[in-house]
Amino acid sequence: MHTFAYARPASLEEAVALLAEHGPDARVLAGGTDLIIRLRDGSARPRLVVDVKGVPELAPGIRAGSDGALVIGATTVMTDIAADPLVRRNAPALAEAAAVVGSVQIRNRATLAGNICNASPAADTAPALLVHDATVVAIGPGGTRRIPLDEFFVRSGVTTLARGEIVTAIEIPAPASRITSAHQRRTRRRGHDLASVTLCCGVDDAGVTRVAFGSVGPRPLLRLDTAGVLADPSASPEARAAAFETIFTDARPSARSMRAGPEYRVAMLRVLGRRALATALERRAAGEA
Amino acid sequence: MTEGLAITLTVNGVARTLGVAPNHTLLEALRDDLALTGTKECCLVGECGACTVIVDGRPVDSCLVLAVEADGSRVLTVEGLAAADGALSPLQAAFLDKGAVQCGFCIPGQLLAAHALLADDAHPTRHAIEEGMAGNLCRCGCYEQIFEAIEGVAEGAVVAEDAAR
Amino acid sequence: MTAVRASRVGDSPNRVGGIGRVTGGQRYLADLHVPDLLHAKLVTLDCARARILGVDASAALALPGVHLVMTADDLPQPVPRFGPQNQDRPVLAVGETKYHGDAVALVVADTRELAERAAALVRVDHEELPAVFTVAGALAPDAPLVQDPALRGSDPRARTNVLNEHRVGWGDLAGQEAAAAFIVEGRYTFPMVTHFAIEPHAFMAAPDGDGLAVWSTIQHPNWLQKLIAGLVGMPLSRVRVYAPDPGGGFGGKQHAKHEPAVVFAALKLGRPVRLVLTLEESFQAVRRASCASHVRTGFDGEGRILFQDITADYLIGAYTDIADRVVGKGSYPAAGPYNVPAVRIVARSILSHTVPSTAFRGFGNPQVNWAVESTLDEGARALGIDRLEIRLRNLARKGDRFIPFDTPCDGDWAQTVRLAAERIGWGTPVPEGRGRGIALGIKSGPTTGLSYAIVRLLGDGSVVVYAGTSDMGQGARTVLAQVAAQELGAPLDWVTVVMGDTAIVPYDQQTSASRSTVLMGNAVLAACRDIQAKLRSMAARVHGLDEADITADRGVVSLPDGRELTPLEVLRPGLGRLGGELTGLGEVRKDAEPGHPLGGAPAFFEFNCTVIEAGVDRETGDITIDRHVTVSDVGKALNPLQVRMQDEGAAIMGLGHTLMEHYLFDERGRIRNLGAIDYRIPTSMDLPTELHSEAVENADGPGPYGAKGMSEGALLCVAPAVAAAVLDATGVAIRDLPLTPERVWRALQQHDPEKEAAS
Repeated sequence: MHTFAYARPASLEEAVALLAEHGPDARVLAGGTDLIIRLRDGSARPRLVVDVKGVPELAPGIRAGSDGALVIGATTVMTDIAADPLVRRNAPALAEAAAVVGSVQIRNRATLAGNICNASPAADTAPALLVHDATVVAIGPGGTRRIPLDEFFVRSGVTTLARGEIVTAIEIPAPASRITSAHQRRTRRRGHDLASVTLCCGVDDAGVTRVAFGSVGPRPLLRLDTAGVLADPSASPEARAAAFETIFTDARPSARSMRAGPEYRVAMLRVLGRRALATALERRAAGEA
Repeated sequence: MTEGLAITLTVNGVARTLGVAPNHTLLEALRDDLALTGTKECCLVGECGACTVIVDGRPVDSCLVLAVEADGSRVLTVEGLAAADGALSPLQAAFLDKGAVQCGFCIPGQLLAAHALLADDAHPTRHAIEEGMAGNLCRCGCYEQIFEAIEGVAEGAVVAEDAAR
Repeated sequence: MTAVRASRVGDSPNRVGGIGRVTGGQRYLADLHVPDLLHAKLVTLDCARARILGVDASAALALPGVHLVMTADDLPQPVPRFGPQNQDRPVLAVGETKYHGDAVALVVADTRELAERAAALVRVDHEELPAVFTVAGALAPDAPLVQDPALRGSDPRARTNVLNEHRVGWGDLAGQEAAAAFIVEGRYTFPMVTHFAIEPHAFMAAPDGDGLAVWSTIQHPNWLQKLIAGLVGMPLSRVRVYAPDPGGGFGGKQHAKHEPAVVFAALKLGRPVRLVLTLEESFQAVRRASCASHVRTGFDGEGRILFQDITADYLIGAYTDIADRVVGKGSYPAAGPYNVPAVRIVARSILSHTVPSTAFRGFGNPQVNWAVESTLDEGARALGIDRLEIRLRNLARKGDRFIPFDTPCDGDWAQTVRLAAERIGWGTPVPEGRGRGIALGIKSGPTTGLSYAIVRLLGDGSVVVYAGTSDMGQGARTVLAQVAAQELGAPLDWVTVVMGDTAIVPYDQQTSASRSTVLMGNAVLAACRDIQAKLRSMAARVHGLDEADITADRGVVSLPDGRELTPLEVLRPGLGRLGGELTGLGEVRKDAEPGHPLGGAPAFFEFNCTVIEAGVDRETGDITIDRHVTVSDVGKALNPLQVRMQDEGAAIMGLGHTLMEHYLFDERGRIRNLGAIDYRIPTSMDLPTELHSEAVENADGPGPYGAKGMSEGALLCVAPAVAAAVLDATGVAIRDLPLTPERVWRALQQHDPEKEAAS
């Protein structure tokens, strides 16, 4: 593996200072399930690795914020997100997504912040976070920023984090309108796999359906069916299909992917959309929050 | 090998102090520095689970943990499963009893993953077993026998001394 | 002695060598501690084929702790070449790399990390050349030649990429074609897949006094010993090969890969050198031949098969390895376990700029069985004959020479088929949305063989067995120990099995073709009989009796007056004050038959019937296998649990190439999916909902107690049975593997039932 220096800052201030000083020559180490693979294959060659697991402000944990928001500490691992009662009640799709990130061994290390900062278009948690309007809380030399997740992703491997900034938490606001959600994905086998399509569907009290999907372009996308066709029980299958077509217009799956071809992925978006929508509506009817 | 950073970790109940370089993984520290070669190296990308150990109560792929990250941690490897007098754990005995061991290379990882699964859920359903063990590949195809061994232990059906011969 | 838990032949005692495997004590090659050890790393290029213009090792050698950067230029000249069939593979690439992963140099350093860093610093000046990596590409008229014609001797095909062509046939094909009421044909492809043993290959060598010690994950230690001795010019007696139990082999560890290079490096440096491959490098070391086949099957009106006309183009790699034998032996019984009046099989080994293909469980049979059984399935459908029934109608019966002048059918195969059908409930209504498929398969056992065993009955009644078989997971240690325990009346844990050391263990030709229970098992049995004869002689002496009146069998020495003694009761007085032991030698030899196309008729056939019940999610293409029944004809299960483990293991491995495994190449012939993230094998979550394995035992095999070899049969039939179930469920026939969700989805999309009904 590539040689690098290792730092384990004991405070947020120290962590930010290190990252600001070294810029692209430093990489944040949280769960390590993406970074260590890159260190080994040479696609990441930092001079310094900053292990943030000793920073109290980044400690793992999920709590309800004062305004009813769900606040997920940056280094919270997937296992705990999948099992958390608050997450399962308020954002079930996120729990579902966290539960399928890799294997048990991976989920015991992989962090939510790491998943979004790695910014793979196939990030399993991204669609659910987008549907639930997640906000990324980041602290850097310039102070605290709250970045809507939809503005956080740029393209594969690239986010809008500035030099020296570090994610401290991901917040899911208590929505004015309750959202019931469901997560779907396509893989090449039932066993753990990287997704070739990810999708989350959420329906709110006003009947607006939010669909977020990934692995069909450079970044995960969020689209809204503000006309309310998808959640309308009286809408015809044709009308629903047309609404999905509009939602998926910007899907541009790469022709070079090893995991699945573009035609299949686009077709699966429609299938997963329908299925996730059905589950989200069932949950709504069953009174799940 | 003595290298830059001093770490202390408790491995199988024993405190060990080592000097490691930042780029040494926990897997390498266990195998090369502590001569605990029971934990195996295979894919090195966190897919096969051959390197599974339990760190602070949770099964992880040790190829994706830097040794320095394990400073201050409790680590359980396959060498720590049997009792001090060599008596096999119920799970180890069950693996032998049910024929879950063919070439054996994946078995240390399987045992640790199974150990963690049962610690978390003493009576897992078959589905929970499949999911909990999905991070451990077995190319010889012993999956069914591994499930039976885990279920056997869950049902308390296996007597350790029987298989300790 | 302690009370004996059931450990005789036919019981399922715990695996011998199992305790070490569950405690972490088992030492695989990468676990061995060797003082003074140096570490090696291969230097390869990121292309399928390149002309090597120059190697600059200066930056690598400048690193402290780097001892050697060895290229072909540093080897004896001309560079030695090796290979089990043709000696075509150079120890390191000479002038040209011929596949993605072909080694240009071997770097040796103090640590693995250093060797890796140094390898990355070696500059290989090279020019990428056009590569062929498909059957069509290799056969194109202007295709670059993979092998230098000058090295192919007088081979008439030297100016092509066809290494060899195998023809098998009998009967009057033209006549049967004319007589056929119905002919079905189809073209099929079988993918390139890799063994993916969880233990990557490893090799180590060290000077050993005036000789050499070599460690390898090799399945054939004696073969390796002979190869290395020849390469370095030492007598066999000075070359010691240690073969620790491999962590999975499946055929991929049968023949040498990088041992020669590691040996030359160790001799140069005068120190031990070890090379442990990464998983990615193991994908670049071994694989199965892919295959494009064309099958035409003709039937009469009652569904009797009149002819099989099969062509199979196997895409092998850049060097022969054992690949041509795979093609010849695998295609030989391609017409299947049926009585077929006329057969023509033409199988070709086609060279390509890819990883050399080698032996892999099934040895060339799965590729053609996929095509032939699928064609049979379609034929049955078209004729309106039940797919189980059509097979029973044509199935060879015991004693039938279904391949003329060859080993006749050696089992009640119909019994196996009926049992499998019964287990799945063939003929009962298929659940809604599901389909059923059935496939049969045979594989020829060993055609030649030579196994020696030495057994020592020690003074206290304990036993040591020396057997050169490789226990790579199939449980050879246990089975051989059971035989000795049974024959010499010892508890199983009083039997020690010594393997994997050519200085101690007598010659064994190889561990392959599911032969070891039969050949080595018989050798151990023979050695035990040798000891029993000596026990009789000893008892005669001790009791003043005539040897001819004493019997010794299965641990009991019977005297003419009715007394029954244990071996220990004979040994104690017989050995007397001086002590000692009794040694037995067993030899089992199956000589070559010069006239036979395969060099000999197989010692037995492995026969399997697999039946699948599955459903398909038409929207996504996902296949769900609800029930997977596999039944194999094993003669006698010396260890029923191990038989079941092998059968299930083969079934699960077969699911791999059926549903998810394949190498993916880019347009330049480089492998895209090296490593575990994008090469998918079945996990615990990918199993059939119900997997049921059963064995038929009629004690009609040539091995101990009537055993036959097994462990490959269940793999042969998975793909055609699954595809047949998919066809049954959806009406869509898919002829290319793997049946990934995307491929199934695409086939369903393209399937137009109205068009097909009209045609």
